Amino acid sequence: MFRLISKRLFSALAVMFVVSLITFMVLKWIPGDPAQLILGTEATPESLEALRTSMGLNLPWTAQYARWLGNLLQGDWGTSYLFGENVRTLILQRLPVTFSLTLFSMILAVCFSAGLGIVSALFQGSWIDRLSRSLMQLGAAIPAFWLGMIFMILFAAQLHWFPVTGYTPPAEGISAYLHSLALPSIILAIGESGVLIRLFRSSMLSALNQDFMQSAQIKGLPRTTAILKYALRSAMIAPITVIGSQTAKLFGGTVIIETIFALPGIGRLLLTSVEQRDIQLLQGIVLFITLMVVLFNFITDMLVIAANPLIRMESGGNEV
Amino acid sequence: MIPSLLDVRHCSVMDARGQALIHDVSLSVRESECIGIIGESGSGKTMTARALLGLLSEDLKLQAEAMILGGQDLLTLSPKARRQVISSTIGFVPQNTVAYLHPLIRIRNQITDGYLAQGLGTPKEALVKAEQLLASVGIQDPQRVLNNYPGELSGGMRQRVNIAMALMCDPQLILADEPTTALDPIVQKQVTELFFQLHQTRHVALLMISHNLNLLRKYCDRIVVMYAGQIVEAGPTAEVYDYPQHPYTQALISVIPQLDQDPNLPLAEIPGFVPEKDRDRTSCLFADRCRLCTPECRQPLTIQEETAHFVRCRNAEGV
Repeated sequence: MFRLISKRLFSALAVMFVVSLITFMVLKWIPGDPAQLILGTEATPESLEALRTSMGLNLPWTAQYARWLGNLLQGDWGTSYLFGENVRTLILQRLPVTFSLTLFSMILAVCFSAGLGIVSALFQGSWIDRLSRSLMQLGAAIPAFWLGMIFMILFAAQLHWFPVTGYTPPAEGISAYLHSLALPSIILAIGESGVLIRLFRSSMLSALNQDFMQSAQIKGLPRTTAILKYALRSAMIAPITVIGSQTAKLFGGTVIIETIFALPGIGRLLLTSVEQRDIQLLQGIVLFITLMVVLFNFITDMLVIAANPLIRMESGGNEV
Repeated sequence: MIPSLLDVRHCSVMDARGQALIHDVSLSVRESECIGIIGESGSGKTMTARALLGLLSEDLKLQAEAMILGGQDLLTLSPKARRQVISSTIGFVPQNTVAYLHPLIRIRNQITDGYLAQGLGTPKEALVKAEQLLASVGIQDPQRVLNNYPGELSGGMRQRVNIAMALMCDPQLILADEPTTALDPIVQKQVTELFFQLHQTRHVALLMISHNLNLLRKYCDRIVVMYAGQIVEAGPTAEVYDYPQHPYTQALISVIPQLDQDPNLPLAEIPGFVPEKDRDRTSCLFADRCRLCTPECRQPLTIQEETAHFVRCRNAEGV
């Protein structure tokens, strides 16, 4: 058990290291001189040289990488050329938006898909099963930006149920905060639901066909108990993994929705940093998103281990 | 006369196209009696058990004159009441020991839940009972096994747990469907002996499905021979085994390899296959494979029922 966790932890660290190295090298190789970018085309060669020296740009890349990594580990993520502020501060400022958006859309997606997927498995072939299958297709086929604009026109501009764009922090009122995130969360949730409904439905169906369901019936368990205790218990394992990776994906993948709804999240910050060639900021964001993905995958792994005693047994079964 | 615990009369199961899977099966088990059902793969043994347990899949159709279990006709009950009668009267031991126990739930939580659902006692009493039963089926360390997941147990152990689980609600009848098939020979013998030991000490009736005639002969009071979804012969063990009347039963007995037979001779076999179609026809189903087949065998067959030794063959002596 402990060995398994430390193994996963080690591989997470390895991923972080490799990603940081790749990010650093790619951004090093793309054309463009950061010193020139900061000082502009009018700068004298002497001042450019001075800046390069102070930023360490004339050192070999290995030394630059070591310096960057060293600073990173001490909490110094570098300074954004564009904003003139600490990269970490910039990211942390925008974190609540992306975090809330990811959280709400995953909660919505999971509740909706679990409900619909399980009910369609229980009533296979009924109208609700056919409806959920149509929704699955639609959810997977409709692009988020298009749905975003339609929802914006319908529910915000015409019906005035939600604000059209912008983000209200929770400090200015919980209701306004939830309202400002409702539409984008729903749209992201719809996008994630297609896969999840299908997965909940199929894993529930396969659980219902297992012998232990007959065992439950012969033992005289009521049907609802059999479904809740026996079928759901095995049907939830597969979705956990997918929910974990979807959450991780949303963390770095809400750029379009954040742009459409003018939400000041990490996705928008990423886009800005790319557009403005803000290398330090870009490096920081990429690494942060990687960190989040690795973290969520690690949490998912732990949840799967907690939910599935078979995995616990396979790895070092001596403590059982 | 000991009253019948289970009485199935003229039970048939049809698939969605109306094709018969088992046809006109009548079976009765008296209290604390031990009955063996034997037949090749595909003879309808398991289907008969599933029909009894109410486990037929929804696209199959059950037809029967009566299915009386513990004094109540299952066919007249609501699905819920039927399940209740079945679960409180029958303990089932399955063939497949891998997925019958839920792989993600500790033994303690699945061995006791039927007992609790039927309101037979408190959780504490259920655990005490489970521990006693596990010990009585030969598990050395019941406390530990209760805390195990099924995957941590060997096949033989899992089958013992299944047997203990089947006994939790004090059933009057144990229905075992090839309970030793997935086990290695030594464990097979242990588990088989356990069954008959339980049958004797607890006076519980036993309906054992098997394709091992030698095993059934040793323990059962009566033997039922199934072929292609029909019962072809049924009677007291000694009579069926020593004086088999139906050519199929005779063939089954003749193909059992003997220890003293010449190892150079090929093993005996019954030529041909079990028919899949027209299992509900009234003429003999075994005719195509029967060495005694006559033209009359293709005609509809009238069978005498309610005899101690039932044979579905026109050429049988004394029928």
